Amino acid sequence: MDAREELVQRVARRRGERMGLSKSAYAELLLAVRKNPVEFIDNREDATFLALGKLLDKFAADRQGDDLLEDDEFAIERAKRMGKLSIACEKITKACPTCVDARVVQIIASDRDPDVELGMLLDLRDEIAGGPWTSDTTGTGDAWNDVFARPWLRLLARIQFAALDSGRYRICDKAGEDALSLSPTDGVGARRACALSRARLEDEEGLNRLEARFSHRGDSWFALSRVILLYKLGRMTAARRALRGMCSLCDGGAYALLRPILIDTYMPDRPQYAPYSFEEVTLAVHEADPIILDVPDFALWAERQEDIASAGKSFAGEHGLDW
Amino acid sequence: MSFDPSREDYQRLALRFVNQLDGTDPLKAAREFATFGRRFAQDRDSLPQTDEDRAFHLVSLAATIIDYDLPFSRGGTSQDLLKRGRNLLNEAVSLDPYCYDAIRMLRAADIPSFDLYYDFLDETADEVGAHCQEQRDLMLATHEGDRAVLASKIAMYPYLRWLGMQASKAVICGRNRQAIRICNRLLELDPTDIADARFTAAIAYAKLEDEGGLDALARRTRQVSIERARGPEDAWMQLARMAIRFKQYRMNDAKRQLQQLCDTYPYAAATIFLQHELPDGVFYRLAVPPYSEDELIVACSEATVLFQEGRARCGHGSLGTWLAERAKELAPKEDIDALVAREDSELNGDSGEGR
Repeated sequence: MDAREELVQRVARRRGERMGLSKSAYAELLLAVRKNPVEFIDNREDATFLALGKLLDKFAADRQGDDLLEDDEFAIERAKRMGKLSIACEKITKACPTCVDARVVQIIASDRDPDVELGMLLDLRDEIAGGPWTSDTTGTGDAWNDVFARPWLRLLARIQFAALDSGRYRICDKAGEDALSLSPTDGVGARRACALSRARLEDEEGLNRLEARFSHRGDSWFALSRVILLYKLGRMTAARRALRGMCSLCDGGAYALLRPILIDTYMPDRPQYAPYSFEEVTLAVHEADPIILDVPDFALWAERQEDIASAGKSFAGEHGLDW
Repeated sequence: MSFDPSREDYQRLALRFVNQLDGTDPLKAAREFATFGRRFAQDRDSLPQTDEDRAFHLVSLAATIIDYDLPFSRGGTSQDLLKRGRNLLNEAVSLDPYCYDAIRMLRAADIPSFDLYYDFLDETADEVGAHCQEQRDLMLATHEGDRAVLASKIAMYPYLRWLGMQASKAVICGRNRQAIRICNRLLELDPTDIADARFTAAIAYAKLEDEGGLDALARRTRQVSIERARGPEDAWMQLARMAIRFKQYRMNDAKRQLQQLCDTYPYAAATIFLQHELPDGVFYRLAVPPYSEDELIVACSEATVLFQEGRARCGHGSLGTWLAERAKELAPKEDIDALVAREDSELNGDSGEGR
């Protein structure tokens, strides 16, 4: 989430609507706000949003050294960082409970089991459902175009993650469907967790429909979901073909699948990477982890495909990664 | 119901014995039959039998050793038991090359991966089916009346076990649609469901979070078991319903279902608290009495695929963690203390061996 850019748009939107500006005047205003958004903030919700952005920047900066830490040092650092963020968010949300993003971040930073996190997120959803900014009022047919509706879409996407991690695939799929119906272009990326859920639920038609909805413009999640689905359905020749397809489409796909990399909790949403990039496929494999674990021989099977194993190995060699 | 290997062994020989008495004077036949029980137990070799019967007898011995004795043994004794079981099964196959129970049980030990064992079962299933159906037709042609019914049923048992095992392995491999397909085939082959395919199907429907499918299964199989027709639903169905409610985040409904389970089975809360995963029966799912403590233990073990799914810090999985917490609230403290103490003493090797 680009908190700075969203703040600019929020502030400009509020002011522009109040002043009833023309299109060109609004463009001028946007430029001015972009230069110094703080100067234009005149309400508590935007002030809270600004504070949240700063907390998230600090959090991301604190994460930078993680790679160098040993496992137990990392666990300690992480717990400290999450604790601090949680307390800070609690403070700002107490002052302004309508800042949904800050409340979601507070829930994530409280660092509970996915089961508990899901409960908290669902409570929040029920609390604000039907209220302002939980429907598409843009007239463009896509709520993502409305910066004030994005927190709701992000909440739905976060529900997807917690549901996926706690083994609740229909809830994950439903939250994704809700997000997609408001935002068919899917700025929040809800289709991805839907694809994984449908693979886990062995719902081939559902996955086909989802792919068709996005005109088969695939990404790492769709590619991986297809492999898992075909494997679970026992169509092994097709599964092998899909696996090869995924590994040739995704840069370092074989490596990502066979040597999964630990990814820390998204704070608060999924980072954006180019389709089929190594970074993207790494995230897809990370999100699919509970589903892959549920198919105990899946990774073994993938590794037994000689071309896949050797592709993974040579990718590791080229990029100085462990194998 | 499940399959009781010793009972099946008895039935096979009894059928053969009775068949042989056909045509003799009824009084003499009755007298002869009165000796059957004693001869079966003490002088088995004096009874008429074929190599197939002898092979199945060895399977029944191996089944008892591997499925019922082995889980309660340790160290050197386990190795001895395994070796004895294997020898019996090898001998069974040498007596009867179509002894598919023995073939299946031997391969279970030889194939280290879930997938490869599943593949083996899948690839061989048609061959087993064809052989058993041939045997069934033979039994129908050579027996009469009730005997024909029983003999032809028994002839199909190895195939039912084969498919039943394949379905339960499918669930473990994460292939739930395949599991359901196989269970449906089993229910078609044997509407009385001696293989208890409906138990496996219930778990698979819960994995797919398919409430409609589970309800349809419940309706379809409600009357299958006379012992259960009037009683509460079996542990598998109740666990599946609870899992689906949990997965839908209908936590109060899930809790009510858990309460019902605790009302159905003795010491249920303690069993659910412990969530033991037992080694799967190699002959078949262990034969345990309906609604017994043991039945819930077996069902919970099979529901491990539901309990352990999802991340949770204590490593129990999402549903498993929630269940352990709720069970602790529900279980009488003495029950849990007693069980934990029993476990500790077993871990320290104090327990006796055998069943």
